[in-house]
Amino acid sequence: MRDKTHAEHIELWAEFVKTHPRSVWIKEVKPLIDSQIIMANKFYERLAKTEGGMEKIKRLRELRIRKGVV
Amino acid sequence: MNREIKERTILDAFAEDFVHVVQKHTKYIIVSGFVAIAHGRSRGTEDIDIIIEKIGKDTFMKMHNDLLLAGFECIQSEYPEVIYDDYLRDKTSVRYVRKGLLIPDMELKLAKDELDEYQIKTRKKLPLTGLDLYFSSIEMNIAFKEELLRSEKDMEDAKHLRIIYSDTLDEKEIAKIKADIRRLRLS
Repeated sequence: MRDKTHAEHIELWAEFVKTHPRSVWIKEVKPLIDSQIIMANKFYERLAKTEGGMEKIKRLRELRIRKGVV
Repeated sequence: MNREIKERTILDAFAEDFVHVVQKHTKYIIVSGFVAIAHGRSRGTEDIDIIIEKIGKDTFMKMHNDLLLAGFECIQSEYPEVIYDDYLRDKTSVRYVRKGLLIPDMELKLAKDELDEYQIKTRKKLPLTGLDLYFSSIEMNIAFKEELLRSEKDMEDAKHLRIIYSDTLDEKEIAKIKADIRRLRLS
């Protein structure tokens, strides 16, 4: 369990989003969301070029083929 | 570049491009984590959850083929009959990605019970997100996160949404949905 400062930060940020237009808060959020995806896909590009990399990517894909019930 | 386009995240563009195809074939709703993220929750995710109506195989096959033409592929199989018979009909989700990429993915499932049908029936566009997407209601998302999913991340998502919509939330509706979740998903 994270400490209370984490919960406080979530509340502060939610208040900021609530009181500011999307054009303001999206500038803060977009780099975080995009960088996660860009960095991950760049990593997979590098992995694909290594020996056995494609096989590892295949196994990573299979990890996501789950019998999920939500 | 158009300002609206520039302000779309990779997840926003992925979701809008995907539903642009899906909505030609069936009703859909975006649910769970991306609902919170589209409302400014500052966290990452690898997937977006989408529920569509309980369509038949023929309709699914047409939709799948249109998704391929739009540059998506299904991780589970390239054969729509396999995807439908082995996964969707079995109440199991499947994942679509942009061809050649691993993330993000769209986790797609068919509506499986009256709760999912109710979610689709009460779907909404949410202007605060700035996105042209149908979402399940905020009350529905809060109820699922607090009653069924309950991870730390889900509870934080619910808290975030509760603050954003603190002046309009229908607590009776949340209580009703939680009762339905207990009856249909937890019993």
